[in-house]
Amino acid sequence: MKKKTGRRSLVTLTTAALALSLLAGCGGNNNSGNSANGANSGTDGNKDTAAATDSTTSTAAPAETGIDTSKKVELQFYMLGDAPKDLPVIQDEINKMAQEELNATVKFNYTSWTDWDQKYKLLLSSGQAIDLIFTADWTQYQSYAKRGAFLAIDDLLPKAAPELQKFVPESMWEDVKVDGKIYTVPATYKEYVTNGFVYREDLRKKYDLPVPKDLASYEAYMDGIVKNEPDMMPMSLNSDIGNNLHYIYTELNKMIGALPYGMGVKYESPTTVYSYWGSDEQKEELKTMKRWADKGFIPKNVLNIKDTMQDPMTSGKAASMFGDNPTRYNDMKMKISTTHPEWELAYSPFGLTTGYATPVHPIHNGFAIPKSSKNPERALAFYEKLVLDKRYNQLTQYGIEGKNYTVEDGYYKLVGTSTSNGFSREGMNGWAWRNPEFMLFDKGFDGVKAIFDELDKIQKPDLFLGFAEDYSSYQAEKAALEQVEKQYLFPLEAGLVEDIDKGLETFMQKAKQAGLEKIQTEWTKQWNAYVAEKGIK
Amino acid sequence: MRQRKRKTGTPLAIDLPLKGGGPAASPLGSGTVKKKRKGFLHELIHNRILFLMLLPALLFFLVNSYFPMVGVYYAFTQFDFNSGLFSAPFVGLKNFEFLWKSGTLVKLTLNTIGYNLAFIVLGNVLAIVCAILLSELRVKWFKKLTQSIMFLPYFVSFVILSVIVYNVFNYDSGFLNTLLARFGAGPVDVYNKPVVWIFLIILFYLWKNLGYSMVIYLAAITGISDEYYEAAKIDGAHIFQRIWYITVPMLKSTFVVLLLFSLGSIMKGQFDLFYQLIGNNGVLYNTTDILDTYVFRSLKVTFDIGMATAAGLYQSLFGFILIMTVNYIIRKINDDYALF
Repeated sequence: MKKKTGRRSLVTLTTAALALSLLAGCGGNNNSGNSANGANSGTDGNKDTAAATDSTTSTAAPAETGIDTSKKVELQFYMLGDAPKDLPVIQDEINKMAQEELNATVKFNYTSWTDWDQKYKLLLSSGQAIDLIFTADWTQYQSYAKRGAFLAIDDLLPKAAPELQKFVPESMWEDVKVDGKIYTVPATYKEYVTNGFVYREDLRKKYDLPVPKDLASYEAYMDGIVKNEPDMMPMSLNSDIGNNLHYIYTELNKMIGALPYGMGVKYESPTTVYSYWGSDEQKEELKTMKRWADKGFIPKNVLNIKDTMQDPMTSGKAASMFGDNPTRYNDMKMKISTTHPEWELAYSPFGLTTGYATPVHPIHNGFAIPKSSKNPERALAFYEKLVLDKRYNQLTQYGIEGKNYTVEDGYYKLVGTSTSNGFSREGMNGWAWRNPEFMLFDKGFDGVKAIFDELDKIQKPDLFLGFAEDYSSYQAEKAALEQVEKQYLFPLEAGLVEDIDKGLETFMQKAKQAGLEKIQTEWTKQWNAYVAEKGIK
Repeated sequence: MRQRKRKTGTPLAIDLPLKGGGPAASPLGSGTVKKKRKGFLHELIHNRILFLMLLPALLFFLVNSYFPMVGVYYAFTQFDFNSGLFSAPFVGLKNFEFLWKSGTLVKLTLNTIGYNLAFIVLGNVLAIVCAILLSELRVKWFKKLTQSIMFLPYFVSFVILSVIVYNVFNYDSGFLNTLLARFGAGPVDVYNKPVVWIFLIILFYLWKNLGYSMVIYLAAITGISDEYYEAAKIDGAHIFQRIWYITVPMLKSTFVVLLLFSLGSIMKGQFDLFYQLIGNNGVLYNTTDILDTYVFRSLKVTFDIGMATAAGLYQSLFGFILIMTVNYIIRKINDDYALF
């Protein structure tokens, strides 16, 4: 009997070993999946340290910068989005110059657009060594800066990048300050990223539909599309209802910005804060969306669509976009002009309806040095090159002249098509290091310039983006509220709920349970303090 | 028949792979080693070679599993990019707050446990049934083919699965609705029906994992000595009796071990599965939201190490209590089957 017990536990053991290896296998899979999500986090960091420590001290660079460049380093550069095909070539070219001038090489890393927000957060909080990373209002620059994710560069600027410091206007440095310190280098190019209706002019003409200018005419346009092109999506949408329906709707209704937690502040009255959630104004929005959903503008399974917003437009699956900015509109237009010249895109900016347009706030595009950076000085010096050195700048914005693009009559011209060419215009998503002096524009961009000129006439400053919210006192409530929002408000905002009043009631009740009132009170307090500090009336 | 079975005692063929079992097997084996009463140091010196051989495994677990546990402290601090772990301010249980703030913790816990129980019970039962059926097959090529076909879904990633599922079930152009329309039936809006997803998720889980767990049982079945079956045959037992009185009891220990392993991670859902299939669709959250997805979504917005650790700690603690309890119960019933 004793013997038998032993044998039986042996069988158990063997199976256990097998099962464990199974578990280990699963674990391994998960891990690799995660790290792949984390945008090859581990390896690059290692490479960096290896490069920083192993390399021998080669010839020191000419002392044109006031920093110590005796040691060769590899800078880790992080940008959002997808890397262009020709990136390795460009990187080699850049590195040839950077090696000589700064005794540094750079590795350009990209997060891809899929789940970029998690990757971005992971990059910053995992402590991985990164030297330069993109910042924007929509990557929560203000709150990261406030919580100490970035290095304050006030003292570093005059030493490592004196030219850059002079190049960026003083007012812009002032605008990007968080708690009195500079954490990012803003882009100086003036543009508008306010939204506008994007629609198919050829279809509009063909079926004699109204030009989308406001909600009513846009709805009429989509009605016509549903009637005449039943296989097309009237509007491009994906599961990000908040950004692609709700905030566009509120922008059209003159909200001061993409306000969180159901706060409401109108552009004309920035000192008056009210709760948008539960207001009649919101009910009106939800009713509109319900109507749109019933009419088939909003697909029933919109919450499960993972496409980007632009792809259905360029592939001809969708007939309009509720809102997009002029530059992205132009990109789509360029893409279509090579793939489907018979289609025609058109644009009508919201500014024409609302009566004002806000030029981009300096926070909107920038590059910061994370706390984890091992070579902040060199990083800043390199960034200065990227912005102010024509060779660096045009190489990273447009690729190699002759191979990727040509210049005709002062206009940028892509060689081949956007699919055959490995580096399209601004292929590295270099919005942040655009330098107006070196910028080359596509002939088609004249249209955007015209839009900009038009918006210039009605421009008013952006009052909202300078506001750096500090949510440390209501972090738990915030996290809980975002969940409630996703579960109960998004379906409402997508017009999926039959009974709006009941749905809204449930949502409000859940939101209150999550601590909505505390958040709104605290936010209002902070906003009022900001408005008072900046003297906004 | 039972008598006869006990008498036929030959070493099992399955004993061999044990040597390849590696570090995982060692802590489990200690239970069967005869206890020495001369103190730890004597034991250490006496079996120094064996302990030396154990060392790498020990180090592996120490470095990979025990040292990182220090990080649990994050759950009680306010994360800050500037300060290290121990200089961050202590905030007590504040990080756990977001879990119950929205009043969903109970629902999440129940969902998580419910799904996992379904996965474990259905998964194991089906795997055992399939393994037995497959082991009784005598046509070799058919057996291999079936096994491979059942195994294949294991390699399909959930990302791809989610695309397939979306294309089958989406309202406007999904395969299901196109098919229904062809037969003159009205369309079904699957993505708006929370209850359906309970079954769909379990179904897809089984579809994906059945092949793998079946192989484990198949291995255990191969380990059962043929002599048992031959003896049973001579005694006139028909095939169902042989399965019921030999195969099933012999698989019991495997089942218990697998059960205990999976119970430990019962609070950790199949994140990929839920996240990929459900994603941002809040309509379905009431029936499909598990702790992992909730935590992921919460911290996607406010990425906070403290809160993430708090959630992880809650899951681990719950799993720990559960596995200790179940193991205790199993030990009470039958000492041989308990893990420790």
